[in-house]
Amino acid sequence: MSILRLSHVELRVPDLELATAYYVEVVGLVETAREHNRVFLKCWDEHQHHSLVLTLEPTHGLNHLGFKVTDAADLDHYQARLGSAGVAVKRYAAGEWAPGHGEAIRFELPSGHQMELVHGMQQVGNLLPQTNPPPRPMGLVGMAPPRVDHIFLTAEEVDTVTRFLVEQLDFRLTEQVLGDDGFQIATWLEVSHTSHDIALITGPNGGLHHFAFWVDGWNDLRTAADVCAYHGVTLETNPTRHGATRGQCLYFFDPVGNRNEMFTGGYWVDPDAEPITWTEAEMGRALFYYDGVVNQKFLTVHT
Amino acid sequence: MTTPARDPLQRDEERHGVDYAEGTPSGTTREVLRDLVPGRTPLRPTRTPGGILRLAHVDITVTDLDVATAYYTEVMGMAVSGRDTDSVYLRCWDETDHHSLRLRYAPRVGFDLMAYKVQHEDDLDDLENKVARYGLPVQRVSRGESVGQGESIRFATPSGHVMELVHEVERVAATGRGRTNPDPFQAQGEPGPPSRIRPPRMDHLLVTAEEVGESTQFYMDVLGFRITEQLLDGNGHQLGTWLERSHSPHDLAVVHGANGGLHHFAYWLDDWDDVRDAADVLAYNGIQLDVGPTRHGITRGSTIYFFDPLGTRNEVFTGGYRPDPDFPTITWTEDNVGRAIFYYEGELNDRFMKVHT
Repeated sequence: MSILRLSHVELRVPDLELATAYYVEVVGLVETAREHNRVFLKCWDEHQHHSLVLTLEPTHGLNHLGFKVTDAADLDHYQARLGSAGVAVKRYAAGEWAPGHGEAIRFELPSGHQMELVHGMQQVGNLLPQTNPPPRPMGLVGMAPPRVDHIFLTAEEVDTVTRFLVEQLDFRLTEQVLGDDGFQIATWLEVSHTSHDIALITGPNGGLHHFAFWVDGWNDLRTAADVCAYHGVTLETNPTRHGATRGQCLYFFDPVGNRNEMFTGGYWVDPDAEPITWTEAEMGRALFYYDGVVNQKFLTVHT
Repeated sequence: MTTPARDPLQRDEERHGVDYAEGTPSGTTREVLRDLVPGRTPLRPTRTPGGILRLAHVDITVTDLDVATAYYTEVMGMAVSGRDTDSVYLRCWDETDHHSLRLRYAPRVGFDLMAYKVQHEDDLDDLENKVARYGLPVQRVSRGESVGQGESIRFATPSGHVMELVHEVERVAATGRGRTNPDPFQAQGEPGPPSRIRPPRMDHLLVTAEEVGESTQFYMDVLGFRITEQLLDGNGHQLGTWLERSHSPHDLAVVHGANGGLHHFAYWLDDWDDVRDAADVLAYNGIQLDVGPTRHGITRGSTIYFFDPLGTRNEVFTGGYRPDPDFPTITWTEDNVGRAIFYYEGELNDRFMKVHT
């Protein structure tokens, strides 16, 4: 079949206890496993073993991002395809990289990001019974997003990485900011019929701009802002609206400096939909529709 | 893009060199369309999944075309895409396909068909073959026979519902959004307290069938739907099933009832605030709510049910979840049917159980 959706994100954190406390108590994730230098977390409605891995390292930033594929055969398919395109691919057996992890292939994007495709991660169930389940668990803490949603990377040549994602991995472009010189300043791509599963913006190679959790509605963004303010978490933006993707969002930083987003809205997109283009002059509105000006801190700070 | 001439007597194996009845094989070579927009066009054959994508349109009959059209435009906020002698075709503001609702004049209110969109042209051949092998007659509808769409196939499901599968649809401009620097809401209706419901798109429909189990098997085995939830009676028989293709809780649901019946069709709203706004609009226009605003146990969605002026049940729906294809099916038992359907009320009303079109 194909690549389904964003599966997991592995972050570097210089303080594992602090970061874990934040992701569990403020964001509201569930810890599923722990090693001396890694903590495995998932959102409450996710069935898979982990969607966020915190790895103790001296710096912050992104170690790798993982996408889920539908069938085990997809790993062979993409391994062969990437191989014939001259991309080095490393294969992991199930459980080899981490507890609960599935079979996976790992490779590098032209921007230097480590990307993985994974299949067969251990299914641990969401926090609800399979028979007569209530619509949500009680006793959740923090923002309690049901799942991870997308990831936003920085790359020196957005065009090149976008082309790689489309040609090698069958991602589809939904929106782009085109510079006056005709180059892509930023792009949004999807595999799951949403407004985006991955996005790219001009910046240093290998950088993480942010990764995002899904919430169900605008009210949940207000709750998330309340939670941030209560815990003294620095909000980068108010609850606001994107022009690109049409989503509503809230940005803030984890205690070691990685940017998080809570995201809702957007749209369904057919595979043959025509991409939306934003011109450089309208880039402010493309990013933050209400503010309408390019937020320089938002564009320059990344990990 | 042109469709190659099709010889109905030629077997699929001869035409494609493969047996599509066993499912589109991995790595199938497909025609690459060079005229599509760069960046979305795969430059080589891909493994992009085919099959049914999503609900395309619902065709119902109405006893008063003017009243129905007035309701679906002025209250629901849909746009008219076209008319012919006996029908009006409508779409929601974020839809770029020609229509998602057809209203056809007839002496009685009823259900003509449900149409689902498939991803690739050759999915029509594939699914036609599978439906035929199941033993149901399949009709090819050629380009130009139906307003706003190309070739399609039609067949009656085991429960007597006419189902259509379509690939090519006429593109119309989204009423709300251009493709360059678009506003994030419907541009033609200025933002403000909505005086129409204005859903961005159609979401799903629920049909009634005497043999829910048989229908469900058909949708799953032949058409590739995946079951997310089921309601079982004390003997383990399916009283209702919720089926998806689009990674949502349901694109199609089947509940026990008369064969051929439509229980309701549903529009998507973005969140619970919009559900409240919809209730405001309905109340202002004197439209009786059937149930809600409330929450489903099944699908976890938030909802209101109401009737159009001729008697077809509508729903506005939001929420739910995002199931992967390996999603473990959720089961509801009959003793929990109240909460399964209406989680807050915990019980069903007779009208909801009995009234359909």
